[in-house]
Amino acid sequence: MNRHCTTTELLAVRDGEGTVGAADHLAGCTVCQRELGLLNQRAAAMRALATRRPPRDRWPVVKARLLADRRRERLKQAGWATLAVAAGLTLAIGVRTIDLTPTDNRPAAALAQQANAALTQLRQQSRQLEATLRDWDPRGRVLSGRTASVIAELEDRIAVVDMGITRTTTGSAEQQRLITLWRDRVHLMDALVNAHVTRATYVGF
Amino acid sequence: MTKANVSVIGVLDEIAIQRAKTGDLAALERVYRSYEGMVYSLARRICRTAEDAEDVLQETFLEICRSMGKFRGTGPGSLTAWVKRVAASKAFMRVRREKYRDTDEFIEDGPVAGRLGEDVGLQLDLESALARLPETSRAVVWLHDVEGYTHEDIAEMMDRTVSFSKSQLARAHKRLRDWLGGE
Repeated sequence: MNRHCTTTELLAVRDGEGTVGAADHLAGCTVCQRELGLLNQRAAAMRALATRRPPRDRWPVVKARLLADRRRERLKQAGWATLAVAAGLTLAIGVRTIDLTPTDNRPAAALAQQANAALTQLRQQSRQLEATLRDWDPRGRVLSGRTASVIAELEDRIAVVDMGITRTTTGSAEQQRLITLWRDRVHLMDALVNAHVTRATYVGF
Repeated sequence: MTKANVSVIGVLDEIAIQRAKTGDLAALERVYRSYEGMVYSLARRICRTAEDAEDVLQETFLEICRSMGKFRGTGPGSLTAWVKRVAASKAFMRVRREKYRDTDEFIEDGPVAGRLGEDVGLQLDLESALARLPETSRAVVWLHDVEGYTHEDIAEMMDRTVSFSKSQLARAHKRLRDWLGGE
């Protein structure tokens, strides 16, 4: 080979993959030997660069999310028994209930219609909040430890409400309960969106 | 836990690893404390911003802690390799997700000896020169020359070919040589 080695050829020789031509040239060329030496020095200098420390401690966030995982797992395993207890707590959120008791002035058919309309509206609100959260892309953002705990708690409570919704029949007798659960879900989703947005504003400063 | 008492935690041993595998939070924190610097440094070399590197640190340890029970190794050496692999993978996922674009094309390779730098008069220190590299080249040179990954490993992690990894390595060294001069 009657020219100096390229960077690619020098790297190949260094890594034991060089051609015979490049290796032969290198053996007799002090200029290319110097270049190879510089290349090795650069690699050594990079290895000697100091380890960087993260500016903030992320362990509290990791821990909070692990604990949230575990709580969710326990809820899943406990099933109905846990649902009964936890849903009780969830329902403590102030809700305005719709009186679905038939009276002379309010026939059952009208009440059912009113209940269906309320359910449709609540489901739509819930979907809108889900969409807002998706657009916000919370998975791509850094959380503080405290916010992560709040968010994990809200997600747990939403999971409990969802279990309740799944297990509640759509019959008229359960209509009031279903409306209450959907209203809880909307309240909790709203709080979840707020938690994410407030957190992001804080981090932005 | 403050940075001051990080050193008190000490080096991970096999018993701590076994405890971490059972999900023990104190043991998992020891794993975190032992590797947070390594993971953050690696992520910082691959990602564009410090915030992205922090996210990678968080996501890496979430996966490590969640999957620790399935980790088959026993010693700190195999744990280190696994943690690094997860971190690199998360960092590349982050880079892809953020749609970072490495727009500058690979310059035709030519003889390197005696060539003057493209930026004659621009003398950078190594940290600045690394930061100035396109992120793909920086990631490859770091993973290959510092972390010791093969081109096959890097190609797999980046979902690219071996020749792509080799060309990125050459490109990184050529740039560094130009910017840093003859040292």
